[in-house]
Amino acid sequence: MSDKILELKNLTMRFGGVTALDAVDLDVFKGEICALIGPNGAGKTTVFNVITGVYQATAGEIIFEGKSILGMKRHIIAKTGMARTFQNVRLWGEMTALENVITATDVHKRSGLSGALLGLPRSRREEKRDRIRAQELLDFMGIGHRADQLGKNLPYGDQRRLEIARAMGTEPRLLLLDEPAAGFNPAEKVELAALIKKIRDAGYTVLLIEHDMSLIMGISDRVAVLDFGIKIADDLPSNVQKNPKVIEAYLGVPADAS
Amino acid sequence: MKLRNYWNLRDAGAQLWEGSNRKGRVTIALSAIVLVALLPFAGASFLATPIAAYDAVLVYPVGVFVLMALGLNIVVGKSGMLDLGYVAFFAIGAYTMALMGTLTSLNTWQIMPFGIAFAMVAGVLLGLPTLRLRGDYLAIVTLGFGEIVRLIALNSSWTKGPNGIANIPMPPDIGPLEFKLDDQKVFFWVVVVMILLTIWMIRRLSIRRPGRAWEAIRQDEDVAELLGVHTLKYKIWSFSLGAAVGGAAGVLYASKNLFIAPEMFTLNVSILILACVVFGGIGNIWGVVVGATILGYLPDRIRFISDARLLVFGIVLVVVMNFRPDGLLPRKKREKIGERAQARL
Ligand SMILES: Nc1ncnc2c1ncn2[C@@H]1O[C@H](COP(=O)(O)OP(=O)(O)OP(=O)(O)O)[C@@H](O)[C@H]1O
Ligand SMILES: [Mg+2]
Repeated sequence: MSDKILELKNLTMRFGGVTALDAVDLDVFKGEICALIGPNGAGKTTVFNVITGVYQATAGEIIFEGKSILGMKRHIIAKTGMARTFQNVRLWGEMTALENVITATDVHKRSGLSGALLGLPRSRREEKRDRIRAQELLDFMGIGHRADQLGKNLPYGDQRRLEIARAMGTEPRLLLLDEPAAGFNPAEKVELAALIKKIRDAGYTVLLIEHDMSLIMGISDRVAVLDFGIKIADDLPSNVQKNPKVIEAYLGVPADAS
Repeated sequence: MKLRNYWNLRDAGAQLWEGSNRKGRVTIALSAIVLVALLPFAGASFLATPIAAYDAVLVYPVGVFVLMALGLNIVVGKSGMLDLGYVAFFAIGAYTMALMGTLTSLNTWQIMPFGIAFAMVAGVLLGLPTLRLRGDYLAIVTLGFGEIVRLIALNSSWTKGPNGIANIPMPPDIGPLEFKLDDQKVFFWVVVVMILLTIWMIRRLSIRRPGRAWEAIRQDEDVAELLGVHTLKYKIWSFSLGAAVGGAAGVLYASKNLFIAPEMFTLNVSILILACVVFGGIGNIWGVVVGATILGYLPDRIRFISDARLLVFGIVLVVVMNFRPDGLLPRKKREKIGERAQARL
C-alpha cells in the first residue's frame, strides 16, 4: 500500500483574486479508493482540472507514477494513464454509447490516416479489438444493452455510468470520478458504490469526489478534506468523521448547500 | 405522421440501403452511378438549360460545386470548424494548373498531384497557427486567408495580375475519350469520378478513428482533448483533406475553363459553397451532394434566378432553413438497436 501513484505537492491555483487551491499536498496510493470531499466551492473539481491539464497550476508539483506531468498537453496526460469524468455529464451526445467508449480507446491506437483510408490490416485489427474492448467495458458498467443508443438518449444514470466506461476506455491506472452519484436516489447510490468497489478490485486506483457521506464512508480507503482550497484532513474514514475541523467546515456552510 | 415519413428521404434511403444485402447494394450503387453518368445525354429533356450549354453546366457549376461542397463539408460538417476562406484552396489548385500548364509541358493529370499538394501545404501552414482558435476567430482568419490568396493573384506579375492566365491546356484524351469544349461529357465523367473518390474517402474515414475524433471535436472539443484525442492533429488533417479536394477541383476547373483570373476567386465562392453545405444538410454526404446540385443547377435552369442569383439564394436559404433548420437531408444518427439489445430490453 505504500506505492504512490499520484503526488500533489504544494499545489496552488489562483483565479485572479480567488485562491481555489492553497498549497495542497495529497498522495494517492496504488489500488485504493481515495475520497476527496469538502463543502461546495472548496476546490475539489479544481484539483481534477489542474491534474488533467485544464488549468495550469499557479505553483506546485504534480507527480504521476514518479514523473512530473506539470505542463503536459491534455491529450498526453490522458495517454499517460489517468482519465476523468465530469461533474456535469459531458458525453458526446450524438455518438452511440459504444462509439463514446471506442473514441476513448483510440488513445493507444498506432494506425493513422492512411491505415484508416486503405483499410490496412493493422487498422482493421485495431478497430475490431477496440470494439470488443468497448463492449466489455459497457458490460462491466452494466450498460451493455445501451451500446447502440445515442449518448444523449440514455437515461441519466446510464449517462453517468457511460462516462465512467468512457474514461476506462483510455486504459487509465488512475480514475478521477467527479461526483459520479450526483442526482442518484439512495438505491442507485448503493449500486454505484458497489460498482466503484468493483472498479477498484479490477485493479484501478480511484480518486473520488463525492458529497454523500454514507457512500464515502462505505467504500473509501482514505478521505481527504478540502475547505476553501486548504486540505484540513487526510485520514481513515472513521477518523475524518470525528475530526472537529471537518465538522466545523461542514457546519460552517448553510445546512444544505448542495 | 405520414407527411413526416414522406419528407424523411434520408431515413428512407438509409432503410433501402441497410435492408439490402451485398448484391443489392452493388446493384443500387451501380445503377445510381450509371444514371448519373448518363445525365449529359438528357440535354433535350426538361432538364435543358436555356442560357448556358447543358453539358457545360453539369461540369461547372454543378459538378465542381458538389466536389467543393464535399471537401468543405469535411471541415465544416465533420469537425465543426467554420471555414470562410475555402475558395483559397480552389484558387491554389487553379493557379497551379494555369502556371504549370502554360510554363511546363506537364499535362493536367501530371499537374493534379501538385495542385492537391500545394493546397494541402497551404492548409497545413494556415492550420498550424490558427486551428488553436475556435469558432468565430477561426472564421475570420480563414476569411482573411481567402482574400489574401486572391489579392496575391491580383497583384503579382507572375500570376499576370488582373488579366489572369489564358491558354491553359485541356486534359489529354483518355484513350477514346476526348475532351472537347463543345461537348463536355468527358469532363463531366471525370468530375463524377473525383466526386466518387471523395465520397469513398469520407465514408472510409468516418467509420474509423479519424471520423470519431472529428465527431468528438465537433461535439465537445475540451472533452475530446481530456480523453486523449490529439485535437490539433485531427483538425489539421481535416483542414488539409478539405484543402486537397478544393485544390483538385481547382485544377480541373482551370483545365476546363482554359482561362482564369482573380475575380473568379472571391469571397462569394466561399459563401456559395458554404450555402450548398448548409442547405443540403451539414455533415451528411448525400445532403451536401443534393444541396450543391440544386444550388449549382437551378440558376441555369430557371432564367430569372441567374439574373439575381445571390438574392434568390438568400431567400431560398432563409425559407428552407426556417422549415428544415438542419438542411434538406439532415445529419442525424439513426439509432440501430441491434437484436441483442432488443432481446435484453
Ligand atoms: N475557471 C475559474 N475561474 C474563476 N474561478 C474559478 C474557476 N474555477 C473554479 N473557480 C473557483 O474556485 C473555487 C473552487 O471551485 P471548484 O469547482 O473546484 O469547487 P468544488 O469543490 O468542486 O465545488 P462543488 O462541490 O460545488 O463542485 C470556487 O470558488 C470557484 O468559484
Ligand atoms: Mg465540483
